[in-house]
Amino acid sequence: MLLGIDVGGTHTDAVAIDIGDKPTVVASCKVPTRHDDLLSSVTEALAAILDRIDRNAVTQLNLSTTLSTNAIVQNKTEDVGVIVSAGPGIDPHNFMPCKDFYVIDGSIDHRGNEVRALSTHQLAKAVDACRENGVRVFAAVSKFSTRNPRHENLIRRTVCNCKSVDACEHADFVTQGHQLGGALNFPRRVATAYFNCAVWRLYNDFATAVEEALDDMGLGNVKVNILKADGGTMPLPQSRTLPVQSIFSGPAASVMGIIALTDIFHDSIILDIGGTTTDIAVFADGAPLIEREGIDIGSHPTLVSALKVHSIGIGGDSAISVVGPEVRVGPNRLGPSVCLGGERVTLTDALNYTGASAVGDVAASRQAIDAYASARTLTGGKLAGDAVAYAARAIQDAARALVDEINSKPVYTIHELLEGKRIVPKKVYLMGGPAEALKDELRERFQLSTEVPANFDVANAIGAALTRTTWELELFADTQRHVLFIPSLSYRENVPSGYDLEDAKRDAANQLTMQLDSMGVFLRAEDAQITHASSFNMVEGYDMVGRNIRVKCQVRPGVIKTFGEGR
Amino acid sequence: MIKSNNTLGIIFFPAFDWAISPTHPERQERLLYTQDQLREEGLFDIEGITEFKPDVASVEDVERVHFCFPDVPSVVTRSHLISAGGAIKAGDLIMEGQTDRAFAMVRPPGHHAMKVVHGSRGFCTINIEAIMIEHIREKYGHKRIAIVDTDCHHGDGTQDIYWHDPDTLFISLHQDGRTLYPGTGFPRDLGGPNAMGRTLNIPLPPNTSDEGFLMAVERVVLPILEDFKPDLVINSAGQDNHFSDPITNMNFSAGGYAAMNDMLKPDIAVLEGGYSIQGALPYVNLGICLAMAGVDYSHVREPNYNAERIRQDARTTEYIAELCKQLPALYFDPPKFVSKGDSRQGVITGDNYVRHKQIYYDTDGINEVQQESVTLCKQCRGLYKVETRADSGPLCLGVEIPVNACPECRAKGYQTVEDAQLKGTYRYVQLINRRDKEYIRYGF
Ligand SMILES: [Zn+2]
Ligand SMILES: [Zn+2]
Repeated sequence: MLLGIDVGGTHTDAVAIDIGDKPTVVASCKVPTRHDDLLSSVTEALAAILDRIDRNAVTQLNLSTTLSTNAIVQNKTEDVGVIVSAGPGIDPHNFMPCKDFYVIDGSIDHRGNEVRALSTHQLAKAVDACRENGVRVFAAVSKFSTRNPRHENLIRRTVCNCKSVDACEHADFVTQGHQLGGALNFPRRVATAYFNCAVWRLYNDFATAVEEALDDMGLGNVKVNILKADGGTMPLPQSRTLPVQSIFSGPAASVMGIIALTDIFHDSIILDIGGTTTDIAVFADGAPLIEREGIDIGSHPTLVSALKVHSIGIGGDSAISVVGPEVRVGPNRLGPSVCLGGERVTLTDALNYTGASAVGDVAASRQAIDAYASARTLTGGKLAGDAVAYAARAIQDAARALVDEINSKPVYTIHELLEGKRIVPKKVYLMGGPAEALKDELRERFQLSTEVPANFDVANAIGAALTRTTWELELFADTQRHVLFIPSLSYRENVPSGYDLEDAKRDAANQLTMQLDSMGVFLRAEDAQITHASSFNMVEGYDMVGRNIRVKCQVRPGVIKTFGEGR
Repeated sequence: MIKSNNTLGIIFFPAFDWAISPTHPERQERLLYTQDQLREEGLFDIEGITEFKPDVASVEDVERVHFCFPDVPSVVTRSHLISAGGAIKAGDLIMEGQTDRAFAMVRPPGHHAMKVVHGSRGFCTINIEAIMIEHIREKYGHKRIAIVDTDCHHGDGTQDIYWHDPDTLFISLHQDGRTLYPGTGFPRDLGGPNAMGRTLNIPLPPNTSDEGFLMAVERVVLPILEDFKPDLVINSAGQDNHFSDPITNMNFSAGGYAAMNDMLKPDIAVLEGGYSIQGALPYVNLGICLAMAGVDYSHVREPNYNAERIRQDARTTEYIAELCKQLPALYFDPPKFVSKGDSRQGVITGDNYVRHKQIYYDTDGINEVQQESVTLCKQCRGLYKVETRADSGPLCLGVEIPVNACPECRAKGYQTVEDAQLKGTYRYVQLINRRDKEYIRYGF
């Protein structure tokens, strides 16, 4: 039995899934999300589910939470000491994420050569300044640290000047930039390391509380995974050092839910229509698209990999307004719909009026729509019809804009570069509360086959439950310098001159398998995919002096089983 | 977050699958470290800087500019068409107002490719700037265009293509031809009789450093640009003047390149040469991108930069200062063309200017002999005609009716092609008719 919990903006959804030959939802529930006490929402949802199933059959709990996201949005993060070495290039002060930001002289080049050693004098002063300010968590980031982490290592050792490995009297936690992945982008590395530290304590307290709550419920040996924004999960113990990866995982749960509930083969559009927003995702040949480099957190671009999801302010609770001759919906949410006791007429009320849905007190919807309309010399029917049409049109416009944007820029699918391929959506998948009610209107708008899968109302929790553990790593080898380096594992090895691309691909796959193995995740050989492999001859004068090899290997995000007919 | 002052479109096509040979300077590795540096700097996250995919140039885009023999597919690879297409994309971005500036950071380069193409010379096969410029003129109407070629080598191909065009100003700053390939580009070369002064060469002595380059730009190039009032300024941005470049002898720095770009303010830059792929290109290209975008570039510096070590000597400064005094007159008051009876400089016979050329394609080892002629017409730029033979290959003919052709020159163009087919001994004949946008080839 697999449990999935998705802590959303309005509701916390939970499901229990029996994985037989064909998975079935044996229990599901929705409880309100209490943002000031997320743990209570989680435990309440868990308790409701456990009442209906045999708790001894539960083997795994996958959890998607807004905890880190909210902490950042609400500015409830911890002060971080960010210490960087940048060398020549764009002035790093442009990327200063917080007040305790120190730039230390020193430079590493694109090959990983140390051009200039780190100034230990400046570094010591920076660390002292942080300590004086009471900083307990630190980010150590250097330019090109993914080619050579020497400066980051030195910063870490200086910050944490202790003999003990477990506890440190000076620092509770240090994030080193290279451990966040192999991607090149120094400003993003700085921001990602900063956020990883900023939410670290809060996230770890939550993780501990979840573990304790599970223990209390007799679920102490259940494996717990946390959802990431890229549509994969990470085991809870590993997530403790990479809390930044849990940010913005909500939309990923929905997208993975659609993958679990349907069989998508074509270029498609996925619409998750919620209370306040509609999340739009695009699939190419059945695979979701990811953000090319990483998502923005606040105004900071980061290296946090995520599915490409665009949100617009239209949902069931979006208020209806009349501007001149036009009836509009959203982007504001002004309390619940009239049918659920609210004051302002919403899209849900309009859908109730047209008969597309029957949510709550339908008569109240009709009355409020008629009143709102007549005050603006309209009929209720016209207002409701126009509002529904406006919502469908806005959703379609946004979806088309997203597809256009994807087609005009180089974008990666999860496993391959779509160079030259244009996305031409053939199908629309709908989920979320108002999905069924908006189906006909959207089908007419899009002029495409439109599907609302069964269990669409808890698809996000299903997605969370079935999402599998993923990991990725990048391997760099420089045969002139005789080194191999895997930044995210801080793994360094000497290689001979004859080391080549095939060796690198094999090593990358092996290291990935071993890493997952150490996390207690079994990886089939075919699940380790090489997503990038290149080898460049390096020439000096007219002689070849070595090879510059780059390999990227990953477990493709996906679900362990689908409800569909199967492929 | 940094926000740029000018929006900048960058077309990056490193052609990671194309090389002249595995150890040739123009090989797969060339833009690898530039790509690494731009990514690591987060250049594409700067608000206002956007990366665009290159277009692919069509055969017609090439035939609008070049006489390719035997034909376009036999001389170009797909990489050449994408490189030219990258430049075209830069042109479209500017003309359609999508970005304020554009930089086509593409390879293979093109500025040694001349009007006639039998193969590759100086690592170039087709002239990507010229293909972009003529695409712009065909699509958006005629424009006055200034090309400032800052590659260390003389832009002899671009000079050849625009030799007779009074609406294109070509200025080349380069290491003195007496000391470097292709051995041309002297102040006496000023353009054909219909376009005297529209070509200007600024040969600089070996070891010229930032001071000399910036002096030449300030004292010679800027006043001329000011006077010419081009609709577009294009920088043939070769980066082989760098002090660490292995195939040249100059002492220019990344900071100097950025400052020069800041002075020139080109609408479009197109990457040309530059073979110090580790020590120079990552920093020079970064500096140019920042300068074009109007973002602070003062922290861009090579790891081994030492201004004192590469400073030019006093004699060099003096020499360049003198050059700067004399050169502007060649543009502002060009001498009248005098036919001196040297057919390599060109002679006037009747109402035709005729020139003989011998061209060596060093990359492909081809020798070409050419006879070029232009009608000296009062109404238009004149009918252009070129007879060419590569080594012992067949004789070929190229005829170009210019965009502003008078009815007489236009008729003469058609007549020439018809005569060539009926009576001539040409294996291949190509007609470029810019007036009617007609590009035809005969002979298979
Ligand atoms: Zn050059
Ligand atoms: Zn004429």
